[in-house]
Amino acid sequence: MMADSSFPNLQRKPHVLGAWLASAGRLLRALMHEPAGAIGLVTIVLLGVTALCAPWLPLKDPLQLHIEHCLEAPSEAFWLGTDQVGRDILSRTIWGARASLSIGLCAVSIGLVLGTGIGLVAGYKAGTWLDETLMKVMEVLASIPLLIWAIALVGITGTDTLHIGVLAVSNETKLVLLIGVLYAPGLARLTHSLAKAESQAEYVAARVLQGASGARIMLSDVLPNIISPVLIQASLLLGVTIIVEASLSFIGLGVQPPTPSWGAMLSDARTLIFTDNWWVSVFPGAAVFISVLAFNLFGDSMRTILDPRRRNARAANVPGASL
Amino acid sequence: MKAASRLFSSALVLLVVSALLFAMCRATPVSPARLTLGSDASAEQIAAFDHQYGLDRPVAAQYGTWLHGALALDFGKSYVSGNPIGPQIADTLPNTVELVTLSFVFTIVVSIVLGTVAALKENSGIDHLLRATAVVGLSVPSFWLGLLLIRYVALKTGWFPVGGLTPWSDGAATHLLALVLPVLTMSVYYISVLSRLVRANMVDALSQDYVRTARALGLSSSRIRIYALKNALPSLVSTAAMSYGYMFGWALIVEQIFNLSGVSRALLTAIFQRDYPTVQAIVLVITTIFIASNTCADVLHGYLDPKANRT
Repeated sequence: MMADSSFPNLQRKPHVLGAWLASAGRLLRALMHEPAGAIGLVTIVLLGVTALCAPWLPLKDPLQLHIEHCLEAPSEAFWLGTDQVGRDILSRTIWGARASLSIGLCAVSIGLVLGTGIGLVAGYKAGTWLDETLMKVMEVLASIPLLIWAIALVGITGTDTLHIGVLAVSNETKLVLLIGVLYAPGLARLTHSLAKAESQAEYVAARVLQGASGARIMLSDVLPNIISPVLIQASLLLGVTIIVEASLSFIGLGVQPPTPSWGAMLSDARTLIFTDNWWVSVFPGAAVFISVLAFNLFGDSMRTILDPRRRNARAANVPGASL
Repeated sequence: MKAASRLFSSALVLLVVSALLFAMCRATPVSPARLTLGSDASAEQIAAFDHQYGLDRPVAAQYGTWLHGALALDFGKSYVSGNPIGPQIADTLPNTVELVTLSFVFTIVVSIVLGTVAALKENSGIDHLLRATAVVGLSVPSFWLGLLLIRYVALKTGWFPVGGLTPWSDGAATHLLALVLPVLTMSVYYISVLSRLVRANMVDALSQDYVRTARALGLSSSRIRIYALKNALPSLVSTAAMSYGYMFGWALIVEQIFNLSGVSRALLTAIFQRDYPTVQAIVLVITTIFIASNTCADVLHGYLDPKANRT
């Protein structure tokens, strides 16, 4: 009989949820030693909560025009001032966070599911025709420059809601789908290389001998061991998506008015760039900047925590380059 | 050999991507004829339009014609103006290429300098400062940075024009002056990415055994630095070459902010006029540049780092 201690991975952990919680707790504790990452995480949580609670916060209506208060500087009534048609900038900035964060989350989730799934299968089946085919498809997708194709897609299909059969596809949905699909190759490559290495591990061979199915080994043994770097990459991609969404909205092809979005607010502010009304351009831009910074700080710190040995060399895998 | 097979596979990828692009442009909810001629056009007018632009032929044949033309830089005619698209791109693309190339060169030079300084002074105050700046640089949206530069630099100092591009014929100095802020706007993000990469590679290279040996042999430290930099270069080259392709995407936004007459204005005008052949042509050209720069990245990487070819 084999001693459990020599094959610690042979048996599945009895409490999967408990194990996940414990490792999350460990990471949080490690984050205490990375103040920048902790600040990032706190900012992300604050942003998320504020965006989620926007409808219940004591805010002015982001769409309401206060015609008698056009372009007012920040005051007690309007904390961040008003824009050229008298809308409250604080309220619009907070509502804009909803658009940015939800588009970011949806796009990155699509990318994660596709990319991790494909990378995992291809990496586990490394060297087979399936691996070759899947990674070839990823290579083709990786040859598509994201920003210009996003512009072209919206340009071609129009910014209005598309009706395909019974499905109503809004402009935001189109963008989320495209960005998500185009994030897949990067995440698939990362997962692929990790899964390929992990699949060579002895415990995987042992699991095969035990008679576990491929799908089961992939999902319950390989995936949990390789997911951390992938999730960190996803956190950094979230920051990238916020910039992409804001840029697209800025040129009028992203989130469509009247829905408040940071990019559209800056686009409105553009005509006022030569005036003294600094608050119309500074606050929405700062919102983009702070949220992206938060995701970058958090992602960077998590990388340092998970891989303290290669503190310096890790930057070689800077995800920001994927733009 | 390696380079040849890489070129071949890139050509295949380009073929597939161009088919995807063509399909995307054909998947329009409303037919181009209806969009261009308006809702009160008669069936005959629509049929005539379709015939004129070859839209009544099978899609595969249309794709073949389009691809064949595109190889000779003939992208067909615009639905809106009826003019050939090729010359229009030839008029606007050089401005974009100039902006991107200047930004690229600036990015590379600054990144190597900053990255090397940070690596040589590892964990010093300047290293920490550069690292913090890089994280900030990664997070600033370029279009916002552009607006801030116009507002707080161009307007306040009056040294730079707030937008627009004067042609070379008006003097190189004024022409280049108009590009200073756009180049800065484009570069900040990529300098943040690449300087971190240079630093990481240099730190890695400087900790190698051969550096210790070289020191022991009494080589001058400047010579050792050159050796280390040479070893740090290969992975930098591939990321740098890729960012050249990515920069074209951002150039579209930056051109809008600084009102530069590059390919982005042509693209956005075509989009708002629903001029699909023009959109299709511009996207194809930029995608080709993107794939070409990625291919260069791979080939150069294989050339500089022979180990990479073996795997």
